[in-house]
Amino acid sequence: MGNTWSGLSLFFGKLLGSREVRILMLGLDAAGKTTILYKLKIQRDVTTIPTVGFNVETFTFKNIKFNMWDVGGQDKIRPLWRHYYSGTQALIFVVDSADRARIEEARTELHRIINDREMRDCFLLVFANKQDVAGAMKPHEVTEKLQLAKLKDRLWYVQPSVAPAGDGLFEGFEWMSNRIKDLPKK
Amino acid sequence: MAPGLPFLTRTTSAGATATATAIATSTTNHRTSLSSFPPGSRSASDMSQASRPSRSPQPPLPGVPSETDRTSNPSSKSKTASTGTAVSSQHSSLSAGASRHHVASARPQRRLRSQYPRGSTENHVEYILVASFDIDRGPVMEHQFPVAITGDEHMLAELMLPDQAHVRDQDWTIFFLHKDTSQEEDEQERLAKEERRNRRRRIRDRAKGVIHESDDEDDDDGDLDGDDWDDDMSTDSEPEGGEGPPLIYVLNLVNTKQDKTVKRGAVVKAMAICTRHPFLHIYKPLLLLALEEYFKSPVPETLSMLFHAVNEMDLSLMPKLSLLERHLLQASDNKDLFVEKFEQMVQMRITEDRGEDVTDQPFDASRSPPKPPGIYRSGTKAHIEGGPGQSTTSYAVPRDTHEFESRVMYKGIPIPIKVPVAIMPETVGDFSLIKLIQNFSDAHSKQPQTFTPHPHLTTNGPNTHPIVVLVNALLTQKRVIFLGHNMPSGDVAEAVLAACALASGGVLRGFTRHAFPYTDLTKVDDLLNVPGFIAGVTNPTFENHPEWWDLLCDLPSGKMKISSKIEQAPVTEGLVYFQQQNPAHAALVNGASSGSLSGAAGAGDLTGDVAFMADIAKSIAARAGERVVRAKWRDWVVKFTRIAAAFEESVYGASALYIGSEEHETGTAGVGGHGYVWCDEVSKAKELAGNVTRIEGWRNTRSYYSFIQDVAQLYTVRPLKGLDLHHMHDRLRTQRLSPMQSREVYCAFAKYVHSYDEISLLLSVAPESHAGLFYIALGLFHRDREVRVKTADLLERIAEHEAGQHWWRALSRFEKLAYIRIKREAELAAVEVPPKAVFP
Repeated sequence: MGNTWSGLSLFFGKLLGSREVRILMLGLDAAGKTTILYKLKIQRDVTTIPTVGFNVETFTFKNIKFNMWDVGGQDKIRPLWRHYYSGTQALIFVVDSADRARIEEARTELHRIINDREMRDCFLLVFANKQDVAGAMKPHEVTEKLQLAKLKDRLWYVQPSVAPAGDGLFEGFEWMSNRIKDLPKK
Repeated sequence: MAPGLPFLTRTTSAGATATATAIATSTTNHRTSLSSFPPGSRSASDMSQASRPSRSPQPPLPGVPSETDRTSNPSSKSKTASTGTAVSSQHSSLSAGASRHHVASARPQRRLRSQYPRGSTENHVEYILVASFDIDRGPVMEHQFPVAITGDEHMLAELMLPDQAHVRDQDWTIFFLHKDTSQEEDEQERLAKEERRNRRRRIRDRAKGVIHESDDEDDDDGDLDGDDWDDDMSTDSEPEGGEGPPLIYVLNLVNTKQDKTVKRGAVVKAMAICTRHPFLHIYKPLLLLALEEYFKSPVPETLSMLFHAVNEMDLSLMPKLSLLERHLLQASDNKDLFVEKFEQMVQMRITEDRGEDVTDQPFDASRSPPKPPGIYRSGTKAHIEGGPGQSTTSYAVPRDTHEFESRVMYKGIPIPIKVPVAIMPETVGDFSLIKLIQNFSDAHSKQPQTFTPHPHLTTNGPNTHPIVVLVNALLTQKRVIFLGHNMPSGDVAEAVLAACALASGGVLRGFTRHAFPYTDLTKVDDLLNVPGFIAGVTNPTFENHPEWWDLLCDLPSGKMKISSKIEQAPVTEGLVYFQQQNPAHAALVNGASSGSLSGAAGAGDLTGDVAFMADIAKSIAARAGERVVRAKWRDWVVKFTRIAAAFEESVYGASALYIGSEEHETGTAGVGGHGYVWCDEVSKAKELAGNVTRIEGWRNTRSYYSFIQDVAQLYTVRPLKGLDLHHMHDRLRTQRLSPMQSREVYCAFAKYVHSYDEISLLLSVAPESHAGLFYIALGLFHRDREVRVKTADLLERIAEHEAGQHWWRALSRFEKLAYIRIKREAELAAVEVPPKAVFP
């Protein structure tokens, strides 16, 4: 599937009139956001260091051009997340499934984002990341702890993942591209 | 300083200047305009005592104007000439380019001061800060020295850790701090107290016969009211457009070090220097060393070591220039311009170091002056050979007078530092106008950008040059953002600083004060409270918020975008009046039909900006250099203000953008008149039509009001208040004058331009880049003999002038021969006719 991201598909994508979406990836610090971004962008496991500010990358998957924003997650800089909301069509929320101590904090942040007026139309993909760590919460547990059942009128999906290996990332994006294709064209 | 000794002949004139014979009479015609320099202020005469032996056994007391000298018998000429020779011998190690002139108009009538005197209470650097990116908390402040800056510490830490610092090993940022007034008052209180204490000490010391170099500060109280251009216009504490306390400029270096041993693999730290000097870029090498040091020993002592090292930097031999002198230096590429001032500073220091009490020392003509420590021109053979051996006693004059060379000792390593000598308002840090212009011209020249028209911005229609759009946006106080995604934040900051200088031209103010060379999302709420700003960001999210800006300048692509949410320009009274007054040109207003032919400097280019940008592009292509381009932009801004003045006068009947006065005997026509000069009325109406919208947009902005303030302030100190030399020179340059008309202009120049400042003013309207003295020298070929003689006399005065000598040298051989011929004729005539004052 690696060649899905190749220049050739980008070329055909343009030819066939691909759509472009803006995706915002948020989550607590050290959840694995930057690792996911670069795994998707260059199919390689990069050693990441804490993000000062943000990262943004563009890549094409299944004729959809993803403009993906990864924003630093330290609590002091979380108030800045709201500036990235406008124009965002999908939210990827990354959770460190092994960090049971902060899952409550993650829930609070997620609900704060999703309840913002500017985010009312976007759908939600949760990566229950770091499944390879012993004792990590399973997807259903993450779903429960994040109280996703409470969300009304919202498309959401929880995808287990191991970012450095790339496990689950493709599946997550598969779900997301299908949702995007369902959207009426502008 | 020379006015004290007006009859000294020039002693070492070399090369081309040798043709100019010494004159002894011109100074008797002392111009009244100098009365704006109060007689109470110490004239330059005491300076001259400090720098060389006085010829008078009883030197004039400080504070007594040099009237005595001026009226003294010309027979003293021979005696003084020999003194002059003795003096010049002290300079034998200097290059021949630096010749002595001892004529009244050659030197300013005021003492020479240091920009940063020894023993000044002001530190070069006020604070050193260190911040780091905490993996749990985000940006945090680690240390501040010598004390903590009050205010939002977290905000500072955020600014010090720019977005995406994690993707590059090293990044620079610049930001400004606005001290709030209460603190400022405390500060002033403290300084005032210190000053009083120092003054008491000095008075005490003087009683004991000790002279301090900083003594001149004592007089500030006495001559505060418009002593000279310096005090009003060029102290570093000058209020910037009267808008509040001076800014603190912050230069910040951030380093990211990958480190496997720490949690999450990296350490991100930043160190910043906070200074009031606009030349903050000189500290770059020191920050590099000190931050490296801090990674090794993260303790406050590392900060204090840097703090003390930079504050011990000695800039006391850098002379202070007046506003006019700074203009001249900035506009000139000449590396020798004002080298005399540097020598004088050294002379003063040598005298001081010898511990001589110069004030009371009678001059003994028979005693040969003691061999002074060597003065060398930096980089010369004499300097290299003689310098190191006697480094403690020798002084160096900079090889290029635009930069003062000093050094900072950091951990025993001498770090060379070059400080710009002449800094214009709104020039902060190190930037390149050429780089900025090229960045947005290259894309435009390949494929002209089409803007959505906006009356304030697209003054040449939809294809207005992006740089002109940018300048228009700044003039009309729009919200301008420079976006440099994936660029170092230092590059973005540089573009912002360049944009400020572009719109200011060193003439207008209020840009840097509202500039945010680097900012990020954390400050966006505060940023949006500022009406009209210039901000640099690296986060492309700003592009997604057109409600945050009016003009977005994307650095990587070189494209500009006018916001879809920009406020529409109101229809103003001025615009309506103009259209009523000029029905023939009403349709041209609003760029509706102007300049739609892209790139062609045809009939559509009402503002002349298409031609101007083409000229700039040509200069850049010809590698004309940054100074030339800055000078051209300065001219552009000056022209804009003059056109605005003409517009206001014609539409509103009055303008505060120009102050003239009727006090001059304006009996002679040709002396009157002011403002921008057009060759005819039609071209005037056209150019005004092209400018109406942006002038109307400029009115009521900060830079407009501070310019009015500056014009008023400048008027109180400027020489030749009743005359607009610029206007007169422009008439020679652009209009087809009849011999009678040009005669009037030449005679007015000859009649009114005498003193040092008056000549400086004339030189500033005839810059080397604009043919220099060419149009003035044309007077040598006027058909009226009187004009020829008077022009020759004027040129002679200019040639004696400290700066004018360089302008004189640039004259062609043909012009110089004409000058010699006229002089010779005049001498012959003088033999026949009994001598009379040359100037009526």
